[in-house]
This record gives sequence, C-alpha cells and structure tokens, in this order.
Amino acid sequence: MPTLIRWRDGAAEAVDDPFTDVADDVAIPQGDVIISLARFQAEGAGLLGHGRQLGVRLAADEAPEALAYDLPCLHLVALTFPKFRDGRAFSAASVLRGRLGFTGEVRAVGEVFLEQAKFMIRCGFDAFVPGDGTTAEQWTAAAHRFRHVYQRAQDGAAPAFVEREGV
Amino acid sequence: MYRYDDIDAAMLEDRAAEFREQCRRRLAGEITEEQFKPVRLMNGLYLQLHAYMLRIAIPYGTLNSAQLRKLAWIARTYDKGYGHFTTRTNLQLHWIKLKDAPDILDALAKDGLHGIQTSGNCIRNLTADPHAGATADEVDDPRVWAEAIRQWSTFHPEFSFLPRKFKIAVTGSETDRAAIRIYDIGLRLRRDAEGALSFQVLAGGGLGRTPYLGSVIREALPARHLLSYMQAILRVYNRHGRRDNLWKARIKVLVASLGAAEFARQVEEEWAKTDLAAIDLPDTELARIRAGFVPTGFATLPAASAAFEAAKRESAAFARFARHNVMPHKQPGYALVNVSLKAIGETPGDCSAEQMDLVADLAERYSLNEVRVTYEQNLLLPHVKLDDVPAVHAALASAGLATPNIGLISDIIACPGLDYCALANARAIPIAQDIARRFEDPVLAEKIGELKIKISGCINACGHHHVGHIGILGVDKKGEEFYQLTVGGSGDDDAAIGKIIGPALAADRVAPAIDQMVEVYLRERLGSERFVDTCRRTGLEPFKEAIYADAH
Amino acid sequence: MKALTANRLADGEVVFWSDGDWVERFGQAEVFADESAAETAEAAAKSQITVAVDPYLIDVAETNGGITPVSYRERLRALGPTNEPGHGKQAAGGADIALLARASGAARSKGRVELIRRK
Repeated sequence: MPTLIRWRDGAAEAVDDPFTDVADDVAIPQGDVIISLARFQAEGAGLLGHGRQLGVRLAADEAPEALAYDLPCLHLVALTFPKFRDGRAFSAASVLRGRLGFTGEVRAVGEVFLEQAKFMIRCGFDAFVPGDGTTAEQWTAAAHRFRHVYQRAQDGAAPAFVEREGV
Repeated sequence: MYRYDDIDAAMLEDRAAEFREQCRRRLAGEITEEQFKPVRLMNGLYLQLHAYMLRIAIPYGTLNSAQLRKLAWIARTYDKGYGHFTTRTNLQLHWIKLKDAPDILDALAKDGLHGIQTSGNCIRNLTADPHAGATADEVDDPRVWAEAIRQWSTFHPEFSFLPRKFKIAVTGSETDRAAIRIYDIGLRLRRDAEGALSFQVLAGGGLGRTPYLGSVIREALPARHLLSYMQAILRVYNRHGRRDNLWKARIKVLVASLGAAEFARQVEEEWAKTDLAAIDLPDTELARIRAGFVPTGFATLPAASAAFEAAKRESAAFARFARHNVMPHKQPGYALVNVSLKAIGETPGDCSAEQMDLVADLAERYSLNEVRVTYEQNLLLPHVKLDDVPAVHAALASAGLATPNIGLISDIIACPGLDYCALANARAIPIAQDIARRFEDPVLAEKIGELKIKISGCINACGHHHVGHIGILGVDKKGEEFYQLTVGGSGDDDAAIGKIIGPALAADRVAPAIDQMVEVYLRERLGSERFVDTCRRTGLEPFKEAIYADAH
Repeated sequence: MKALTANRLADGEVVFWSDGDWVERFGQAEVFADESAAETAEAAAKSQITVAVDPYLIDVAETNGGITPVSYRERLRALGPTNEPGHGKQAAGGADIALLARASGAARSKGRVELIRRK
C-alpha cells in the first residue's frame, strides 16, 4: 500500500490506504478503488452499491462541479497536482468542501509537497500522498507553523478579524 | 499609518521562523532547488546576476521613520550600504547572502517589515496613490482598503499558486497617481449620490511581452464587498488562467481572450455563489484599520506661509524646487515634498543608507513620522508644513536628494537591468545616466516640461517602458545591447501603450535620439502642450525622421 | 571552448568550476577544449545540490592574449555591475579583471537573443 497521510483533529498520521488507485486502461480490481472522472461517468453506476467504497480522481483541469450530484455516493475525491506549482486543486478543494458540501475524504495526489501542507489543509484536504518522502510528523509540524490566519477558508479556523472582536 | 497589532506581528515572526526552517532544509540538501525556489520567491528572495536579491515589501508605499531606519540598517549590515526603490514601491537589496536571509527576516519583522509575497505566483504587494491621506482630491484613503486586501491576500491558501503573479493597485482619486490601468486589478474609490463608497473595478491590465490596459468589469461595487469580489476574481483566474505557457498566464490574457464582458459575467456568477459574510470584513474591522490611517498632529495654520514665499523670492534654486517637487496638501499650510532619487548621473531609484537615515530624520521631525515611496522610484514626505519646507529642502540638498526634476526629463524610471538582473537582456542604468546628464541643465529641463522616460532592460517591463512618454526597451541583438524606442505611452489618466518608432538603436545612439526628439518637440509644440501631447497630435513621423535621418 | 559557471548556494556568489572545485575569479576557471569533458564536469557540478545552483556551460574565446567569455552577460557576471566599479569582483582588480574589462563585442549569445518584432 502507498504511504497515505491522513489529517484528523489537528494532527497528521500515516495510515494504510484501503484504496487502490486504478488507471483507465487497467481492469478494476475488488475492494475500494479510485477511478478517473471519465471512467466514473462511464462505469460508475455499476460500481456503486456493491459494498465497496468509491473514489473519483480529478485532473487539474476537471471541475468538481461535475460530481455535484454524485458526491453523496462517493467516499473520496482525489485532486491532482500535476506539478506542485499548479494551484488549481486548491480551488477545487475549496469548492468541493465549501460550495458542494462534500464531507468525505479529499485527497491530494500527484506532486504533493510538504511546504504546501498548511494551504492544503486550509482548503479542505484531509489526506495526502506525498511525493517527497516526508513523514506524518513533518506534516503535523508544517501545518502548525502559524498561530493565526487572516482569512476564512474551509478549515473552520477563526480569521484574525474574528479573533480581534474577542479582545 | 496602520500599526501592526500582535496578530500582524505574530504573522511575520511565524513566517520568518518558517523560512528559517525551509532555508535549513535547502542548505542541508533535504529539498531541491526546484522545490525551494517558489518558497524562496514567496519571501522575496531572487537569485540574480551577482548575488541574491531581497525584495522587501513596502505595503502601499508607506513607511514610518523607524522602518526606514531599519531598512538603512539592513542595507548597511547585510548589503553594500544602499537599496533600490522599485516600480512596485518595494525596496530591493542586491547583494544578499541566502545564509543571512533568516536573520534579516527576523530583524525586519521586529519593525513590521517583511518580504512576504513580493515574488512568486501569488498576490503581490499592494500599491496605492502616494498622495493618499494628504490630497484633497480623494474620496477616501485607498490605503485602508489596500491594508484590508493585504491581510486577506497574505498566505491565502487558495491563491498562493496562481498561474502567474498578481498585482493590485488602488486609488481614491479621479486623478490616477497609482497607474491603476496597468495592473491585474485596478481599483478606484468613488462615492455615489447618497455618499456611499464604491469601487470601480478594472481587470486585465499588465505590461510585459503583451501589454494591455485594464478594462472596467464592474462600474460600482459597494465598498464593503471588496474582498468577496476579489475572491471571485481570483478564483476565476486560478481555475481558468492558462498554465501551459508562461507568457500567456497572466489574467490579462484570460480577460482578452474571453472579452471583458464575458470575464465580468464569470466573476459575477462566481460572486453570486459566494458566501459574502464569510469573507467581507465586518464594519468593526474596517473601522479599526481606518483608524490607523487618520493622520493626527496637524497644526491649524493659514493656507499661505510667509517663510515659504520669502524663501522662493530669495533663492531661484529653492523656487525651482518648490515649482517641481512641492505639491499642494489638503490641510491648509501643509505640502507634500518629493524627495528625488534621480540625482543627475546617479542610479535611478537608488538610495544610500545615509540618505535613508536622513529622510527618516526629516520624516520624524517634519512629516508626522511618515514617508511614502512612489512607483516612479522617488520618495515623498507627505505632511510637511510650508513653513518647514526651506529647512527640509536644505537638508535634502545636502544629501543629493533635492534635484528639482519630479516629472521632468531626468526623472527617469529605470529597472536595474543587466547590471543586476538575471532576466535582463541589456543594461538600463547607463542609458538613464546618459540621458540625465545630457539634460542636467535645470532651465532646459524646465523648458521641456513634463516628459516621462521609462527604461526596461528586458521585455518583462519592470521599468514600465510601454507606458513611458518615451519608452526604451533594451534588447540583445547578436550579443550587443540595442534599444527599441516607443513614443506616446502613459500610465496616467491618459493611459496608452507607446508605439514603436523605428529599428532598435545602439547604446550610444539613445541619448542623442532623445535629444533629437526633444528638438522636434520644442520646434513643433503649440501652447502649453506636453511632449506626449505634441507626439499624439503630430504623429511619429517628424520624430522618426529626426532620429533615423542620418542613418541614410 | 567552454567554462562552467554557477551561483554559490549559500551566498549567491558567481563561481567558476576549476578541476572539481569552485573559484570566484574567472581568471582561475578551468577551460574545456573538449565538449565531453565539459559535460562531465557539468554533470558533476549539478550533483552538488548543496554547493552551487544551476550550473551551466558558457562559451569562452581567446581575446587579446587571454581567454574571456564570449557573451557580454557572462563578462558582466565575471566583473560586476558597470554602474558601481567598487562593487563586485572588479573591485579586486588584477590582470584577469583588466582583460575582462577590455573585452568587447560578442557572437550571438546562447539563448538570450530577443529581437522585438512589430505586431
């Protein structure tokens, strides 16, 4: 199983990954799987409701709105960082959590880079497959570097202007 | 000016600590240069031609004397005793060592200074009207809103890895001293008939390889919805800006390809789905920020100052300084005093640590402790009593900071160019120095009048050449430095992109060409036409003939 | 002929490869007559990720009895900024600095020629 880091209750932990990430040209195995959006749209109906958990992987140019009606059936949405500098997944995660109200796992895949930990968590990611060999401890530390935040995001942290009201 | 509270200060400390750790990881080889580079850039650290360059943010171009002194101290302690003020009103230090950067950021943080987001594909430093809070012609201090955007955009988790850099400028006046049409977003404050504040929102401006002037995408946005509207614009850009081609990644390309109307529609659609209350600042927070910008300490004075008038009568040099470098203030008996960083033959925008300390002293003593940086690479003392202007002038003159050339031919914008910058194709500084020396006679400069020359050492256009009355772009032609001239551009209310006048010229032909163009202007001008007005009226032909005539 | 240059990671100083080491003066740089030797050195330099950033090969040529970089940009890197003769490597003076300062002209410098085209 690939190293999966899960974020829960303010800390990151390394866990076994029950999901198999399945490429488009490979037969879908038993158990929990993550498939591409195109494959989900073609074959997804047949996969749901067979006692397994389903995840959909979105490319950087695929909109989470495409899954709007299917989200209640999905356990997981994986958002791709083709290069870590490609920040579209931050918006995709924000829309997924905020506007679409998705409560399942939002997983960062692709070129996943420790120095972006805080940004990812704030946008609503709660699982990561790091490409840089970093550990859960490092992810926990990276996520706690800042005592305050200036703006509201998807993580529920109170922005500075709310903190100031309390003074 | 706004003073950083405990939360703002904590942000800077935490950021400096984060960078210290990231630096350690890089120096230990735990992360590669490719991974480190965006992180380093988002703290303003470039690797340039000779050394690292640190770009320190000066939000909305406003500093207090303690901050300016700290900048002088950093320049003296970690650099070669000087700094360079840029067209984004930041300060660049050109001889920085990476291993010193964590200590520098710690030292800056103690005075509310930082290099946060002065580079990288994120929202950059906010620029604003340098006359904010001092001019009678503004409906509101744009820096209140610039500070609101600064906080909202700092470490914004969704918008830190945009397709490309993102620059915002704000003005509160119908006279645009912030060049709002040449940035990704330009904001102009207005009041409606009932007195409510609103923003005219422009988007899609930008210079570089393909220059565009911004288009109005919203005529009147209620001011309290500024941040949520910015959120909508940034999200549309982050999702749809091009990622495949570095030269087509700015928002100006997206706006041009969709058309302003369609872009605006997409923004409105996104905005309509946005939870405004979650993003827009409550009135209490806006009031708190606003309170920081209300200037206190004005004396009640008559509008005219006998001392000022007498000094003008007694000294032609002072009178000239008053004509060009001193501007009217909204408060009777006060003035804005420009500090020229364009001494003849010096590097435009450069300021020594000693000069910074002097200006800091003057700010503390004579300008309610405030200094401004203009995008034209000069400084400004915003709140000087007319009575004190003679003393301020004398002090500035003793330090080479009183050249009476604001807005004139020798007030040249020039990027650091190939002398410093790894991106450059040609040098800009020697060209600026040549031209300034040729026109050093203040009587001649005054006769020529307003003439804004802007020089860039490469197509990235940090010197704003596209919007110069005369623009000069350095190019590399078979390994030699050549210069492409454009004419008729402007970053002011008559905003326009300059037109190329002819084939690029060798370095030693540039200043003579400027001379030839000035001759044509002086010959052709009608009434009080500025150089740029004459060009626009006559067209380029007479200027082109003069420059290229002897090429045959 | 080639030389190999980079910026030093810790302080950003312009440095030149010299037989497995990095030196600060162009006058001490190793000159490669052989393409493959140059590329071997470049590969070795690129592996030193905690020492030098983005090493690259530059063209050098014989001029006035010495060897200097062909491109103007590289001569600037080897000298320092032209607006401040007291800053950068040029401040140290010496024969190699004088040689660099005397060199002029350049062939088409690799990768940096950019002519403005009319739209």
